[in-house]
Amino acid sequence: MTFNDILKESWLSIGGNKIRSFLTVLGIIIGVMAVVIMVAVGETVQYEITDQFSSLGTNTVVIRAGAAQIGGVRSGNRQTLTIDDAEVIAKLPDVAAVSPVQSSGAQIVYGNRNWSTSMMGVYPDYTTVQNIEIERGAFFDQSAVRNASTYAVIGPKTATELGMGKDPVGEVIRVQNVPFVIVGVSKERGDSAMGSQDDMVIIPITTLKKRLQGSRFPNSVNMIALKLFQDADNSVVIDQISALLRDRHRLKQGDDDDFQVMDMKQIMETMTTVTGYLKLLLIAIAAVSLLVGAIGIMNMMLVSVAERTREIGIRKAIGAREIHIIIQFLAESIMISFIGSMIGLVLGVGLSQGIGRFILGYNVPFSLWPVVLSITVAVVVGLSSGVMPAIKAAKLNPIDSLRYE
Amino acid sequence: MKKTENIISLNKICKSFPLEVGGVQQVLFDITFNITAGEFVAIMGPSGSGKSTCMNIIGALDTPTSGVYELYGRDITNMTDDELAVVRNEHIGFVFQNFNLLPKRNVLDNVMLPLMYRGMSPEDRIIRAREMLRRVGLEKFESYLPTQLSGGMKQRVAIARALAGNPKLILADEPTGALDSVMGNEILRFFKQLNKDMGITIVMITHEFDIASYAHRLIHIYDGRINYDGPIPKSEAVLDKKTKVGKK
Repeated sequence: MTFNDILKESWLSIGGNKIRSFLTVLGIIIGVMAVVIMVAVGETVQYEITDQFSSLGTNTVVIRAGAAQIGGVRSGNRQTLTIDDAEVIAKLPDVAAVSPVQSSGAQIVYGNRNWSTSMMGVYPDYTTVQNIEIERGAFFDQSAVRNASTYAVIGPKTATELGMGKDPVGEVIRVQNVPFVIVGVSKERGDSAMGSQDDMVIIPITTLKKRLQGSRFPNSVNMIALKLFQDADNSVVIDQISALLRDRHRLKQGDDDDFQVMDMKQIMETMTTVTGYLKLLLIAIAAVSLLVGAIGIMNMMLVSVAERTREIGIRKAIGAREIHIIIQFLAESIMISFIGSMIGLVLGVGLSQGIGRFILGYNVPFSLWPVVLSITVAVVVGLSSGVMPAIKAAKLNPIDSLRYE
Repeated sequence: MKKTENIISLNKICKSFPLEVGGVQQVLFDITFNITAGEFVAIMGPSGSGKSTCMNIIGALDTPTSGVYELYGRDITNMTDDELAVVRNEHIGFVFQNFNLLPKRNVLDNVMLPLMYRGMSPEDRIIRAREMLRRVGLEKFESYLPTQLSGGMKQRVAIARALAGNPKLILADEPTGALDSVMGNEILRFFKQLNKDMGITIVMITHEFDIASYAHRLIHIYDGRINYDGPIPKSEAVLDKKTKVGKK
């Protein structure tokens, strides 16, 4: 038997029952397509997140209040970081810009409109740390922080949602009945991993703490965000900050940190781990349909062996050895799963690129993953679902098979 | 020297089958005969006589429970299934009652099938198969499917397939059973011609005396034993008489 013989025999047998073969192939097409699309979704999410974080630059460092983990649960609510901490960190030589950050939700009233969004109290340096650009007006300055002025910078989406005209600068919005004057509107950036950066209200941190929250700890903040100089060594600075904060917080040796310092690289790694699990989950779900497809092939092959008992008897009578019969049936199941995999691959890549890239506008990465996957599936599924029926066929007794009606 | 002359040599062949209810049923008892090259032998017997089991053993489709079977002087009694497959492929051409052609393969593919399992190159296979089809007068039908052919034509395709492997022995199991008498006679004359012109040994299983009488030698099996072995008798009555005697 040459390779061509094997191909020809398989092709003729598969073509012998077109509808059944088509339905079996369809099972594999759907399975592979589902996996390929899910891989694309997972990779797109990963890519988009990485993209947004890297747009912030790897020299961004974030300090969060609370220990990294307490009993397995991250606690960010402890009042351990203060505005003073931020001021001291700002004096470190490698630090280019620092802003304490206090975030909360806010219900904004403008005229008769109401809009619920996120609110951040920051220093003006926050624009440097987060690469925020101002489209109209200007960001408030340090004197606004000092005076706890009721100035606000809003995102372009917030402006739209509130039904403001082309130039919202100078308009007055109310948050918890406190009027704020809009001094600037930020440039559109698109949604990011940190939430929509286009829908938010940024006000001086002192204003948020004193006028809106009336906190018992007017000095405490959720987070301190900073930007390092390009040539700074992140890990050295992180160590410096840790030492400084431990000292300021009077932590004894052996005490856990009551804060968490991470640079963008670490955050990105964390996010990649999370999205990696997400991707795995998606693939696992899609793999179930692939498994069902594989069972479909095995089922079809078993029926096929039963139906073709006589054919097998004839082949054996005129000299087919067991290996010939095994090869023939294995080749059929591999061919079915190969055809299904290749169509599934093309459809999966086509759909994920077509819908993801051209309709939804995401950067769906091209990767070799689906190709490798499809070929592996073709071989593994074909072999594993074909081997049992093939052996069954090969072991048939030629006399009984020839008598089979 | 004498051994190589014998194409088939059965020596005290017994065959039993296990019964589902337990125990065994013996269907062949001490079958012993030789067939030499160039013979045209009919193995005859009523249904249930054991002639089909006998044919399965001769055709290397089955192995005896006891006794020795030599094909071309080679003991094939204890061969594995795969070894038997090779023996069938190289030495025996099968012609079955119901043709046993692959229905979804065309005539040429069917004739080439044993050559494929032999490992012949595709080019040689086609040349050989076309030659065989020419011999059975079906060279114009090579791309037809078996279902498009008449019974006689199908049997000729089956004969072409049996001849393709160039065997010295053709084993025909009720080759005219599914054909009308005109076509049946045509096939039998063809066998006779093959035997005469090419010296191919033919062993034909039948339950009809008229068909058996095309052969030169008759082996009559009754109740798993050889009842008659010799030239074709003048009438079937000889066989009947013997069975009656045997039964007493």
